[in-house]
Amino acid sequence: MTRLTDLPPAQAQRLAELECPDFQTRPWVTGSSLSQRRVAIVSSAGLVVRGEDPFRGRDPDYRAIPASAKPEELLCSHISINFDRTGFQEDWNVVFPLDRLRELAADRAIGSIAQTHYSFMGATDPVQMEPHARELAGRLKSDQVDAVILSPV
Amino acid sequence: MGALGHYLEEEGIATVGISLIRPQTENTKPPRALWVPFELGRPFGPPSDPAFQKRVILAALRLLERDTGPVVIEDFPDDDPRATPDSTWRPPFVPTAVATGPAESLAARLEAEILLLRGAHERWVARHRRTTIGLSGLSISECARYVADWLRGKAPPSPREGFSAPLILRFAVDDVKAYCLEAAAAGTAKPSSRQLGDWLWNETAAGAAIHALRVALQASEDERLKLIVSNFMVPAARVRTG
Repeated sequence: MTRLTDLPPAQAQRLAELECPDFQTRPWVTGSSLSQRRVAIVSSAGLVVRGEDPFRGRDPDYRAIPASAKPEELLCSHISINFDRTGFQEDWNVVFPLDRLRELAADRAIGSIAQTHYSFMGATDPVQMEPHARELAGRLKSDQVDAVILSPV
Repeated sequence: MGALGHYLEEEGIATVGISLIRPQTENTKPPRALWVPFELGRPFGPPSDPAFQKRVILAALRLLERDTGPVVIEDFPDDDPRATPDSTWRPPFVPTAVATGPAESLAARLEAEILLLRGAHERWVARHRRTTIGLSGLSISECARYVADWLRGKAPPSPREGFSAPLILRFAVDDVKAYCLEAAAAGTAKPSSRQLGDWLWNETAAGAAIHALRVALQASEDERLKLIVSNFMVPAARVRTG
Protein backbone atom coordinates (compact mmCIF):
# COMPACT_ATOMS: atom_id res chain seq x y z
CA MET A 1 0.00 0.00 0.00
CA THR A 2 1.29 3.47 -0.72
CA ARG A 3 -0.54 6.40 0.64
CA LEU A 4 1.22 9.74 0.71
CA THR A 5 2.24 9.04 4.29
CA ASP A 6 4.20 6.01 3.05
CA LEU A 7 6.36 8.03 0.65
CA PRO A 8 9.53 9.94 1.50
CA PRO A 9 8.33 13.26 2.95
CA ALA A 10 9.81 15.42 0.18
CA GLN A 11 8.22 13.28 -2.55
CA ALA A 12 4.87 13.18 -0.77
CA GLN A 13 4.85 16.95 -0.38
CA ARG A 14 5.79 17.47 -4.03
CA LEU A 15 2.97 15.19 -5.20
CA ALA A 16 0.37 16.61 -2.86
CA GLU A 17 1.21 20.19 -3.78
CA LEU A 18 1.68 19.61 -7.51
CA GLU A 19 0.11 22.49 -9.35
CA CYS A 20 -3.14 21.40 -10.99
CA PRO A 21 -5.04 23.25 -13.69
CA ASP A 22 -7.78 25.49 -12.35
CA PHE A 23 -10.63 24.74 -14.73
CA GLN A 24 -13.49 27.19 -15.10
CA THR A 25 -15.99 24.59 -16.26
CA ARG A 26 -17.22 21.35 -14.71
CA PRO A 27 -18.21 19.12 -17.66
CA TRP A 28 -20.46 16.13 -16.96
CA VAL A 29 -21.50 13.78 -19.73
CA THR A 30 -24.19 11.22 -19.00
CA GLY A 31 -25.07 8.21 -21.11
CA SER A 32 -26.63 4.81 -21.33
CA SER A 33 -26.22 2.05 -18.76
CA LEU A 34 -22.80 0.51 -18.35
CA SER A 35 -23.92 -2.64 -20.17
CA GLN A 36 -24.42 -0.52 -23.29
CA ARG A 37 -21.16 1.41 -23.16
CA ARG A 38 -18.18 1.08 -25.47
CA VAL A 39 -15.09 1.50 -23.32
CA ALA A 40 -11.55 2.67 -24.12
CA ILE A 41 -8.49 2.81 -21.88
CA VAL A 42 -6.53 6.05 -21.82
CA SER A 43 -3.34 5.62 -19.80
CA SER A 44 -0.78 8.18 -18.71
CA ALA A 45 1.96 5.57 -18.21
CA GLY A 46 3.91 6.43 -21.35
CA LEU A 47 2.93 3.09 -22.88
CA VAL A 48 4.17 2.26 -26.36
CA VAL A 49 3.85 -0.75 -28.61
CA ARG A 50 7.25 -2.40 -29.03
CA GLY A 51 8.95 -1.14 -32.18
CA GLU A 52 7.42 2.31 -32.00
CA ASP A 53 9.31 5.30 -30.67
CA PRO A 54 9.14 5.55 -26.88
CA PHE A 55 8.21 8.82 -25.24
CA ARG A 56 11.47 10.77 -25.12
CA GLY A 57 10.70 13.02 -22.20
CA ARG A 58 7.68 15.15 -21.58
CA ASP A 59 6.20 14.63 -25.04
CA PRO A 60 2.65 16.07 -25.08
CA ASP A 61 1.18 13.74 -27.70
CA TYR A 62 -0.16 10.22 -27.33
CA ARG A 63 0.44 6.74 -28.70
CA ALA A 64 -2.22 4.39 -30.04
CA ILE A 65 -2.44 0.81 -28.75
CA PRO A 66 -4.63 -1.46 -30.88
CA ALA A 67 -6.95 -3.81 -29.00
CA SER A 68 -5.12 -6.62 -30.79
CA ALA A 69 -1.85 -5.76 -28.97
CA LYS A 70 -0.30 -8.59 -26.99
CA PRO A 71 1.13 -8.27 -23.47
CA GLU A 72 4.65 -8.94 -24.77
CA GLU A 73 4.34 -5.95 -27.10
CA LEU A 74 3.66 -3.26 -24.52
CA LEU A 75 6.46 -1.20 -22.97
CA CYS A 76 6.37 1.56 -20.37
CA SER A 77 8.47 4.60 -21.32
CA HIS A 78 7.28 6.99 -18.62
CA ILE A 79 10.05 9.40 -17.66
CA SER A 80 9.42 9.10 -13.92
CA ILE A 81 11.19 6.38 -11.99
CA ASN A 82 9.32 7.08 -8.78
CA PHE A 83 6.60 4.49 -9.22
CA ASP A 84 6.55 0.72 -9.12
CA ARG A 85 7.12 -1.07 -12.41
CA THR A 86 7.28 -4.64 -11.08
CA GLY A 87 3.50 -4.99 -11.09
CA PHE A 88 3.31 -4.05 -14.77
CA GLN A 89 6.27 -6.31 -15.55
CA GLU A 90 4.38 -9.29 -14.16
CA ASP A 91 0.93 -8.42 -15.48
CA TRP A 92 0.02 -5.64 -17.90
CA ASN A 93 -3.50 -5.47 -16.45
CA VAL A 94 -2.06 -3.67 -13.41
CA VAL A 95 -1.73 -0.62 -15.68
CA PHE A 96 -3.54 -1.56 -18.88
CA PRO A 97 -6.56 -3.69 -17.91
CA LEU A 98 -7.49 -4.89 -21.38
CA ASP A 99 -8.01 -8.52 -20.30
CA ARG A 100 -10.36 -7.35 -17.54
CA LEU A 101 -12.34 -5.29 -20.06
CA ARG A 102 -12.60 -8.34 -22.32
CA GLU A 103 -13.99 -10.35 -19.42
CA LEU A 104 -16.48 -7.60 -18.55
CA ALA A 105 -17.61 -7.50 -22.18
CA ALA A 106 -18.00 -11.30 -22.21
CA ASP A 107 -20.05 -11.02 -18.98
CA ARG A 108 -22.12 -8.28 -20.66
CA ALA A 109 -21.24 -5.93 -17.79
CA ILE A 110 -20.06 -3.47 -20.47
CA GLY A 111 -21.25 -3.25 -24.05
CA SER A 112 -18.00 -3.52 -25.99
CA ILE A 113 -14.33 -2.56 -26.12
CA ALA A 114 -12.78 0.11 -28.30
CA GLN A 115 -10.73 -0.95 -31.31
CA THR A 116 -7.89 1.27 -30.15
CA HIS A 117 -6.65 2.43 -26.75
CA TYR A 118 -4.23 5.26 -26.00
CA SER A 119 -1.42 6.43 -23.76
CA PHE A 120 -0.02 9.81 -22.86
CA MET A 121 3.09 10.49 -20.76
CA GLY A 122 1.67 11.73 -17.50
CA ALA A 123 4.51 13.95 -16.32
CA THR A 124 3.78 16.33 -19.19
CA ASP A 125 2.24 19.75 -18.53
CA PRO A 126 -1.54 19.28 -19.01
CA VAL A 127 -1.71 22.55 -20.95
CA GLN A 128 0.63 21.04 -23.55
CA MET A 129 -1.50 17.89 -23.73
CA GLU A 130 -4.80 19.74 -24.21
CA PRO A 131 -4.84 20.01 -28.03
CA HIS A 132 -3.83 16.37 -28.35
CA ALA A 133 -6.51 15.28 -25.87
CA ARG A 134 -9.17 17.22 -27.76
CA GLU A 135 -8.02 15.70 -31.05
CA LEU A 136 -8.10 12.28 -29.42
CA ALA A 137 -11.75 12.82 -28.49
CA GLY A 138 -12.56 12.89 -32.22
CA ARG A 139 -10.80 9.57 -32.77
CA LEU A 140 -12.63 8.02 -29.84
CA LYS A 141 -15.97 9.21 -31.22
CA SER A 142 -15.11 7.75 -34.62
CA ASP A 143 -14.72 4.42 -32.81
CA GLN A 144 -18.15 4.93 -31.15
CA VAL A 145 -16.49 5.11 -27.71
CA ASP A 146 -18.77 6.63 -25.07
CA ALA A 147 -16.80 5.76 -21.91
CA VAL A 148 -13.13 6.17 -21.08
CA ILE A 149 -11.32 4.72 -18.11
CA LEU A 150 -8.30 6.82 -17.24
CA SER A 151 -5.36 4.87 -15.86
CA PRO A 152 -2.52 6.82 -14.17
CA VAL A 153 0.70 5.51 -12.64
CA MET B 1 -4.79 12.43 -15.46
CA GLY B 2 -7.62 14.52 -14.07
CA ALA B 3 -6.91 17.15 -16.70
CA LEU B 4 -7.21 14.55 -19.49
CA GLY B 5 -10.59 13.56 -18.09
CA HIS B 6 -11.65 17.18 -18.07
CA TYR B 7 -10.66 17.75 -21.72
CA LEU B 8 -12.31 14.54 -22.98
CA GLU B 9 -15.48 15.21 -21.01
CA GLU B 10 -15.64 18.75 -22.42
CA GLU B 11 -15.49 17.15 -25.86
CA GLY B 12 -18.50 14.99 -25.00
CA ILE B 13 -17.00 11.69 -23.84
CA ALA B 14 -17.79 10.40 -20.36
CA THR B 15 -14.72 9.55 -18.29
CA VAL B 16 -13.85 7.95 -15.01
CA GLY B 17 -10.33 8.04 -13.62
CA ILE B 18 -8.38 5.99 -11.17
CA SER B 19 -6.88 8.29 -8.54
CA LEU B 20 -3.61 7.33 -6.86
CA ILE B 21 -2.99 10.68 -5.16
CA ARG B 22 -6.20 11.90 -3.60
CA PRO B 23 -5.10 15.52 -2.91
CA GLN B 24 -4.28 15.97 -6.61
CA THR B 25 -7.69 14.63 -7.60
CA GLU B 26 -9.42 16.88 -5.08
CA ASN B 27 -7.59 19.86 -6.60
CA THR B 28 -8.27 18.97 -10.22
CA LYS B 29 -11.92 18.08 -9.59
CA PRO B 30 -12.42 15.64 -12.50
CA PRO B 31 -15.94 14.47 -13.34
CA ARG B 32 -15.52 11.04 -11.71
CA ALA B 33 -12.66 9.31 -9.93
CA LEU B 34 -12.08 6.22 -7.83
CA TRP B 35 -9.25 6.69 -5.33
CA VAL B 36 -7.36 3.47 -4.68
CA PRO B 37 -5.01 2.84 -1.73
CA PHE B 38 -2.35 1.20 -3.89
CA GLU B 39 1.23 2.16 -4.50
CA LEU B 40 2.15 4.41 -7.40
CA GLY B 41 2.40 2.32 -10.57
CA ARG B 42 -0.42 -0.07 -9.64
CA PRO B 43 -3.71 1.66 -10.50
CA PHE B 44 -5.58 -1.64 -10.71
CA GLY B 45 -3.89 -3.28 -7.74
CA PRO B 46 -2.06 -6.59 -7.48
CA PRO B 47 -0.54 -8.34 -10.50
CA SER B 48 -1.86 -11.79 -11.43
CA ASP B 49 -5.04 -11.30 -9.40
CA PRO B 50 -7.83 -10.97 -11.99
CA ALA B 51 -10.65 -11.11 -9.44
CA PHE B 52 -9.24 -8.21 -7.42
CA GLN B 53 -8.47 -6.18 -10.53
CA LYS B 54 -11.99 -6.76 -11.82
CA ARG B 55 -13.47 -5.41 -8.59
CA VAL B 56 -11.38 -2.25 -9.00
CA ILE B 57 -12.30 -1.61 -12.62
CA LEU B 58 -15.98 -2.35 -12.02
CA ALA B 59 -16.08 -0.03 -9.01
CA ALA B 60 -14.64 2.69 -11.25
CA LEU B 61 -16.86 2.03 -14.27
CA ARG B 62 -20.01 2.00 -12.13
CA LEU B 63 -19.36 5.65 -11.30
CA LEU B 64 -20.38 6.32 -14.92
CA GLU B 65 -23.96 5.41 -13.95
CA ARG B 66 -24.21 8.02 -11.18
CA ASP B 67 -27.05 10.48 -11.67
CA THR B 68 -25.53 13.33 -9.74
CA GLY B 69 -22.27 15.14 -10.36
CA PRO B 70 -19.78 16.51 -11.02
CA VAL B 71 -17.61 15.95 -9.00
CA VAL B 72 -17.70 12.28 -7.87
CA ILE B 73 -14.71 10.96 -5.89
CA GLU B 74 -15.15 7.58 -4.23
CA ASP B 75 -12.67 5.45 -2.26
CA PHE B 76 -11.88 1.81 -2.99
CA PRO B 77 -11.92 0.04 0.39
CA ASP B 78 -9.30 -2.70 0.11
CA ASP B 79 -5.52 -2.65 0.17
CA ASP B 80 -3.29 -4.42 -2.35
CA PRO B 81 -2.57 -7.87 -0.88
CA ARG B 82 0.66 -8.06 -2.88
CA ALA B 83 2.07 -5.11 -0.90
CA THR B 84 2.82 -7.57 1.90
CA PRO B 85 6.34 -9.07 1.82
CA ASP B 86 6.61 -12.77 0.94
CA SER B 87 8.97 -14.41 3.45
CA THR B 88 9.46 -17.40 1.14
CA TRP B 89 10.98 -15.27 -1.62
CA ARG B 90 14.70 -15.67 -2.23
CA PRO B 91 16.52 -13.46 -4.74
CA PRO B 92 18.83 -15.05 -7.30
CA PHE B 93 22.39 -15.29 -6.09
CA VAL B 94 24.69 -12.48 -7.08
CA PRO B 95 27.92 -11.50 -5.37
CA THR B 96 27.15 -8.64 -2.99
CA ALA B 97 28.14 -5.38 -4.61
CA VAL B 98 29.12 -2.21 -2.88
CA ALA B 99 28.76 1.24 -4.34
CA THR B 100 32.34 2.18 -3.65
CA GLY B 101 35.49 1.02 -5.36
CA PRO B 102 37.06 1.61 -8.74
CA ALA B 103 34.61 2.32 -11.57
CA GLU B 104 36.27 -0.30 -13.78
CA SER B 105 35.69 -2.99 -11.17
CA LEU B 106 32.03 -2.05 -10.79
CA ALA B 107 31.54 -1.85 -14.57
CA ALA B 108 33.01 -5.33 -14.98
CA ARG B 109 30.81 -6.71 -12.19
CA LEU B 110 27.73 -5.20 -13.81
CA GLU B 111 28.46 -6.98 -17.09
CA ALA B 112 29.22 -10.25 -15.26
CA GLU B 113 26.00 -9.98 -13.26
CA ILE B 114 23.90 -9.67 -16.40
CA LEU B 115 25.35 -13.00 -17.57
CA LEU B 116 24.83 -14.53 -14.13
CA LEU B 117 21.13 -13.62 -14.15
CA ARG B 118 20.49 -15.00 -17.63
CA GLY B 119 19.05 -18.31 -16.43
CA ALA B 120 16.69 -16.62 -13.97
CA HIS B 121 15.55 -14.21 -16.64
CA GLU B 122 14.90 -17.03 -19.09
CA ARG B 123 12.72 -18.65 -16.42
CA TRP B 124 10.83 -15.36 -16.04
CA VAL B 125 10.14 -15.15 -19.76
CA ALA B 126 9.08 -18.82 -19.91
CA ARG B 127 6.67 -18.29 -17.03
CA HIS B 128 5.16 -14.93 -17.97
CA ARG B 129 5.68 -15.11 -21.73
CA ARG B 130 6.80 -11.50 -21.80
CA THR B 131 9.55 -9.10 -20.92
CA THR B 132 9.37 -5.33 -20.56
CA ILE B 133 12.94 -4.88 -21.77
CA GLY B 134 13.20 -3.03 -25.07
CA LEU B 135 13.15 0.76 -24.66
CA SER B 136 16.79 1.16 -25.71
CA GLY B 137 16.50 -1.09 -28.75
CA LEU B 138 19.68 -2.85 -27.59
CA SER B 139 20.17 -6.43 -26.41
CA ILE B 140 20.55 -6.72 -22.65
CA SER B 141 24.28 -7.45 -23.02
CA GLU B 142 24.64 -4.33 -25.16
CA CYS B 143 22.70 -2.34 -22.54
CA ALA B 144 25.07 -3.52 -19.81
CA ARG B 145 28.10 -2.71 -21.95
CA TYR B 146 26.71 0.76 -22.77
CA VAL B 147 26.03 1.57 -19.11
CA ALA B 148 29.39 0.07 -18.07
CA ASP B 149 31.25 2.16 -20.67
CA TRP B 150 29.67 5.34 -19.32
CA LEU B 151 30.86 4.25 -15.88
CA ARG B 152 34.36 3.72 -17.32
CA GLY B 153 34.29 7.34 -18.46
CA LYS B 154 34.17 6.55 -22.17
CA ALA B 155 31.02 8.62 -22.94
CA PRO B 156 30.07 6.28 -25.81
CA PRO B 157 28.10 7.75 -28.73
CA SER B 158 24.48 6.83 -29.26
CA PRO B 159 24.16 3.54 -31.15
CA ARG B 160 20.66 4.45 -32.36
CA GLU B 161 19.91 7.06 -34.98
CA GLY B 162 17.58 9.79 -33.82
CA PHE B 163 18.25 9.16 -30.12
CA SER B 164 20.84 11.16 -28.20
CA ALA B 165 23.45 9.39 -26.12
CA PRO B 166 21.97 10.60 -22.78
CA LEU B 167 18.53 9.35 -23.85
CA ILE B 168 19.89 5.94 -24.82
CA LEU B 169 21.72 5.84 -21.49
CA ARG B 170 18.40 6.46 -19.70
CA PHE B 171 16.66 3.72 -21.69
CA ALA B 172 19.59 1.30 -21.23
CA VAL B 173 19.44 1.86 -17.47
CA ASP B 174 15.65 1.26 -17.60
CA ASP B 175 16.27 -2.00 -19.48
CA VAL B 176 18.97 -3.17 -17.03
CA LYS B 177 16.65 -2.48 -14.08
CA ALA B 178 13.77 -4.32 -15.78
CA TYR B 179 16.02 -7.30 -16.54
CA CYS B 180 17.24 -7.59 -12.95
CA LEU B 181 13.79 -7.14 -11.41
CA GLU B 182 12.22 -9.68 -13.78
CA ALA B 183 15.02 -12.17 -13.03
CA ALA B 184 14.55 -11.63 -9.31
CA ALA B 185 10.82 -12.44 -9.53
CA ALA B 186 11.25 -15.54 -11.70
CA GLY B 187 10.23 -18.06 -9.06
CA THR B 188 6.83 -18.94 -7.67
CA ALA B 189 7.08 -16.65 -4.61
CA LYS B 190 5.28 -13.31 -4.71
CA PRO B 191 7.73 -10.66 -3.53
CA SER B 192 6.50 -7.16 -2.83
CA SER B 193 7.88 -4.30 -4.86
CA ARG B 194 9.80 -3.16 -1.78
CA GLN B 195 11.52 -6.54 -1.45
CA LEU B 196 12.53 -6.43 -5.09
CA GLY B 197 13.66 -2.82 -4.84
CA ASP B 198 15.69 -3.46 -1.68
CA TRP B 199 17.52 -6.25 -3.47
CA LEU B 200 18.17 -4.27 -6.66
CA TRP B 201 19.41 -1.11 -4.98
CA ASN B 202 21.25 -2.59 -2.01
CA GLU B 203 22.64 -5.91 -3.15
CA THR B 204 23.32 -5.96 -6.87
CA ALA B 205 26.14 -4.68 -9.04
CA ALA B 206 23.49 -3.13 -11.30
CA GLY B 207 22.11 -1.02 -8.45
CA ALA B 208 25.58 -0.04 -7.29
CA ALA B 209 26.64 0.83 -10.84
CA ILE B 210 23.60 3.05 -11.42
CA HIS B 211 24.20 4.81 -8.11
CA ALA B 212 27.88 5.35 -9.03
CA LEU B 213 26.98 6.52 -12.54
CA ARG B 214 24.57 9.08 -11.11
CA VAL B 215 27.24 10.50 -8.83
CA ALA B 216 29.95 10.51 -11.51
CA LEU B 217 27.89 12.12 -14.28
CA GLN B 218 26.38 14.78 -12.06
CA ALA B 219 29.76 16.49 -12.49
CA SER B 220 29.23 16.60 -16.27
CA GLU B 221 29.10 19.95 -18.09
CA ASP B 222 26.35 18.55 -20.33
CA GLU B 223 23.23 19.97 -18.69
CA ARG B 224 20.93 17.45 -20.37
CA LEU B 225 23.04 14.53 -19.21
CA LYS B 226 23.17 15.98 -15.71
CA LEU B 227 19.39 16.36 -15.64
CA ILE B 228 18.84 12.76 -16.75
CA VAL B 229 21.26 11.15 -14.32
CA SER B 230 20.10 13.33 -11.45
CA ASN B 231 16.38 12.72 -11.82
CA PHE B 232 15.62 9.75 -14.03
CA MET B 233 17.83 6.86 -12.94
CA VAL B 234 17.66 6.37 -9.18
CA PRO B 235 14.24 6.68 -7.48
CA ALA B 236 14.04 9.56 -4.98
CA ALA B 237 13.49 7.10 -2.16
CA ARG B 238 16.70 5.24 -3.08
CA VAL B 239 19.09 8.17 -3.54
CA ARG B 240 22.02 7.90 -1.17
CA THR B 241 23.04 11.07 0.59
CA GLY B 242 26.40 11.89 2.05
